[in-house]
Amino acid sequence: MSFDLNRLIRGRVWKFGDSIDTDSINPYYLYPTMEELKKHTMEAYRPEFPKEVKPGDILVAGRNFGCGSSRPGLVLREVGIAAIVVETASRLFLRNNIARAIPIFMAPGITGIVNDGDVLEVDYPKVVARNPATGASVALRKFPSLIERIFKAGGLPHVARERYIAEAGR
Amino acid sequence: MAEKLLSQHNLTGETVKAGDFVEARIDGLMCHYHAWDPMYDMPAEFGFTGGLPRVWDRERVFVLVDHHQPALSQKLADENARTRREVNRLGIKCFYDAEPGIAHQMVADYGLVRPGELVVGLDSHTISYGALNVGSTGFSRADILYALLFGELWFQVPPSIKVILNGYQPNYPIAKDIILYLAGKYGEDFAGSMSIEYSGSLVSQLSIDSRMCLSAHGVEVGAKYAIFPCDGKTRDFLKGRTDKPYEPLTPDANAVYEKEITLDVDNMPFVVAKPNQFGNVCPVNDVVGIKVDQAQIGSCANGRYEDIEIAARALKGRRVAKGVRFIISPASQQVYLRSVKDGLVETLLEAGAQVVTPGCGICQPKVGFLSDGEVCISATTRNYKGRKGSLNADIYLGGPLTVTAAAVAGKIVNPKEVFNEL
Ligand code: SF4
Repeated sequence: MSFDLNRLIRGRVWKFGDSIDTDSINPYYLYPTMEELKKHTMEAYRPEFPKEVKPGDILVAGRNFGCGSSRPGLVLREVGIAAIVVETASRLFLRNNIARAIPIFMAPGITGIVNDGDVLEVDYPKVVARNPATGASVALRKFPSLIERIFKAGGLPHVARERYIAEAGR
Repeated sequence: MAEKLLSQHNLTGETVKAGDFVEARIDGLMCHYHAWDPMYDMPAEFGFTGGLPRVWDRERVFVLVDHHQPALSQKLADENARTRREVNRLGIKCFYDAEPGIAHQMVADYGLVRPGELVVGLDSHTISYGALNVGSTGFSRADILYALLFGELWFQVPPSIKVILNGYQPNYPIAKDIILYLAGKYGEDFAGSMSIEYSGSLVSQLSIDSRMCLSAHGVEVGAKYAIFPCDGKTRDFLKGRTDKPYEPLTPDANAVYEKEITLDVDNMPFVVAKPNQFGNVCPVNDVVGIKVDQAQIGSCANGRYEDIEIAARALKGRRVAKGVRFIISPASQQVYLRSVKDGLVETLLEAGAQVVTPGCGICQPKVGFLSDGEVCISATTRNYKGRKGSLNADIYLGGPLTVTAAAVAGKIVNPKEVFNEL
């Protein structure tokens, strides 16, 4: 699934704290199938999350989001999360999400401008996230073109395939 | 050292600085039991009919069927079989299959990586090889798919953080206490996306086992690399394990560091991480008296010879408290065999501990699940909620000596109170 970085994302916020680990995002040791995972993602921190999350919602979190094992946020996309906006992300989680073109944005200060349940606008072309109700905004980190290309292609496996075909055809 | 490492491996040959993005050539790639996914399922999903068409170098891809050996369920047996099939199809030479153990320990045991190399792996604790002066780190399955095909990958050059460890090594391992102490003091992401370089007067006294514990835990404090200098101990360890030449990484005299942290271990107390976060750390004295149901030593952080040796030495002539399940899992067959030959396993069994097959089982909810309300103290990597099954169980992390002391006392205690001979 390719992700268009130029699209404005607007959604209701689920707000989490610091150092949310991948065991709670993706507890696949306990729930090995995607159907089960969808029923249990994030419940370690918010038991109501799997039941109440709606397509288009935005996940906001503090520092070090996705620490722990190497597991992408695919389940978050599956339950409808439209964007993940965090103070900082753990390097491996960030990398995992870029590689699968799952929209994730670093926005230092984000937890100071939105509360749980607020509406948030994520405007990557203008590299800003704003709370339309209060007018407060924070800057998003701009990705280098190398990463923008991966989002555009729909993930690194697509980039790999394009390159492989181009090289094989030579 | 990270700038040097990535400059040397940069495809364009240019020198790079912290913050730059590069595409670099890799020296080795480690895949664990999940190899079937980047080799078959994911490529198939993205249009490579029949799976990945090749690997870039059959000698530089290492596949180790770890985590679930022997297979713990039908599903895992089937997944392991798929990994076997893909490895054969792709002609991968370096394959460790019918052998239980944790991939990261086996990579070191079998001398698959060398100082100065850039190595990627399909697991967050790939960073462990930094103990051997390797720039190694974990990647996602999609990144690994790309690296398997081309032997190249994109990297952002991390800034470096210097961690200076001074003091004397006591006659028991303290690596776990060091990293927990630092996580507690500076926050559990204090090395977030940075490259840790270990130095200081303690470093030359640290065994390779202790260095591997510190490097493995680099990922718990957010690091991308966690690199030790290559010294006599490194070379001794590699002797007989690899005959390929290597060129160690060394820091430049004028190297720039984003941060410097100094720790004098002589004044460091025994510490534990309280439930749910690695950085939720306090001196063990703050939590003494908490009753434990299970104690564990193992994982890619603490399943090494010295961790098992200290448990055995401390248990000699003592008994595990009634009702406490003390579970020990060596990190690999080599570690296990040495522990058996040296009589450690006999001592552990006599004292009432359980020794289980090498592997990842006790680090995950696979072997030794916890029930609601139970307390576990563990020398393993992680204490996230639900890591051992129940969301209502408490997991404390501590060093192997602290864990053994709790197993003997049946509650968390300061090891000095139980083992006055140490
Ligand atoms: S021992 Fe635990 S942390 Fe280490 S590789 Fe195995 S599952 Fe991962």
